[in-house]
Amino acid sequence: MQVKTRSVLAIGTVLAILTPVLLHAAEPEDIIKYRKNMMKAIGAHMAAAGAIIQGKVDYKSQLSEHTNAVQALTWDIPGLFPKDSDFGDTQAKDEVWSNRAEFEKRAQTVKVRAEAFAKAVKTGNPQIIATDFKQLGEGCKSCHDDFRKKEDN
Amino acid sequence: MRHRVAVIFWLAVGAVPAAAGGDVVLQGEYIFRAAGCAVCHTDEKHHGAPLAGGRALKTPFGTFYTPNITPDPETGIGKWTEADLARALREGKDDEGENLYPSFPYTSYTHLTDADVHAIWTYLSGRPPVHQKNKPHDLPWYLRFRPLIGIWKALFFQPGVFQPHPDQSSAWNRGAYLATAVSHCGECHTPRNALGGLERELNCAGNRDGIDGAVAPNITPDKPTGIGHWSQSDLAEYLETGMTPDGDYAGDLMADVIDDSTSHLTKDDRLAIAKYIFSLPAVENEIKHEMHPHKKKKEKKENYE
Repeated sequence: MQVKTRSVLAIGTVLAILTPVLLHAAEPEDIIKYRKNMMKAIGAHMAAAGAIIQGKVDYKSQLSEHTNAVQALTWDIPGLFPKDSDFGDTQAKDEVWSNRAEFEKRAQTVKVRAEAFAKAVKTGNPQIIATDFKQLGEGCKSCHDDFRKKEDN
Repeated sequence: MRHRVAVIFWLAVGAVPAAAGGDVVLQGEYIFRAAGCAVCHTDEKHHGAPLAGGRALKTPFGTFYTPNITPDPETGIGKWTEADLARALREGKDDEGENLYPSFPYTSYTHLTDADVHAIWTYLSGRPPVHQKNKPHDLPWYLRFRPLIGIWKALFFQPGVFQPHPDQSSAWNRGAYLATAVSHCGECHTPRNALGGLERELNCAGNRDGIDGAVAPNITPDKPTGIGHWSQSDLAEYLETGMTPDGDYAGDLMADVIDDSTSHLTKDDRLAIAKYIFSLPAVENEIKHEMHPHKKKKEKKENYE
């Protein structure tokens, strides 16, 4: 056997054996912290985008950075809520998992609207931008309405 | 002086929004929405008919089921007169003179003007009647005697129409009227004592034991524990879209309030409410809450440790 092939086989075998160890399921607490940070990041970019759209600040050139960020961060919201990540310091209601189909539908709506918003910003049309921003916000609220609880932790 | 007060009163409080153009039914619909009647009297969770009641309100005292307020003569309020409705809103009594539980916030609605009560009646009696029997409340035995509510009322209920403050602007008075008589913010956002009475010195300072277990945050302009770091226009924006200055979006019960009630107000009315809320005494009362800036800072620290 050639040396290169042998190395590849060796590394491949080692990885195959170690994969279950390397990909051990993440702790729910870490998943919860991660998704809370993701949500905060989305919020920060939404607030920034809102401030620009409402003319409160004049960082118009940065608007597309925020919309791109929101689009990227909302790409896979259900992935942030895997099975067994419902236990711990989370505000996710049980319905996220017990009514998964509806939850994923809402997440998909947000994803689609985030894309539309990013596209709207490219047009430069202030009316379309404002409308799509509002629509996106309503998507966020719609999910929070039924899937996030405001309970004392 | 009295004449000036009367003028301010009617301008500020009795003002019909320009859009309504004086039409009583439209004014009724506007105030009806602002008062949030549909939010409680419709069982949206189970796709119930509008205003036919049946929505469960879980409180520390038991579960209340809202009654049918459609004009159905048998199961709703179809046999009521306008005076009956006025008595319910102002005095907390039903058409037979029996006390109503204060889960129906007549403690706030008592402040409604005659014009608004009349408008609500006109609008409400035109709604489609729905035949649906009322579900009895699920309360512990010792709370099932309605005459006991009389004692509660003696302690905690101060009936009376809203009195404008002559030393405040008309916008402030409009906001005060909307917040205290119509949208009744304080009913959820004010802590209650053991007997369920509002702790009035802590007006709007937050309630950990809200309806359905929801936490109602401190909305006084306290900087560390309330919304003092918001601006008035932030609050007006929030009441319209649900977006906080941090880009967070309201969830749970408040999202319903925004969707069904405050988002339908005029911009001026939302700004007026904000003006009033920001004039409240700042009360330091920390309610653990995701929107709370202190908690955010604490969490950030933890993540980098």
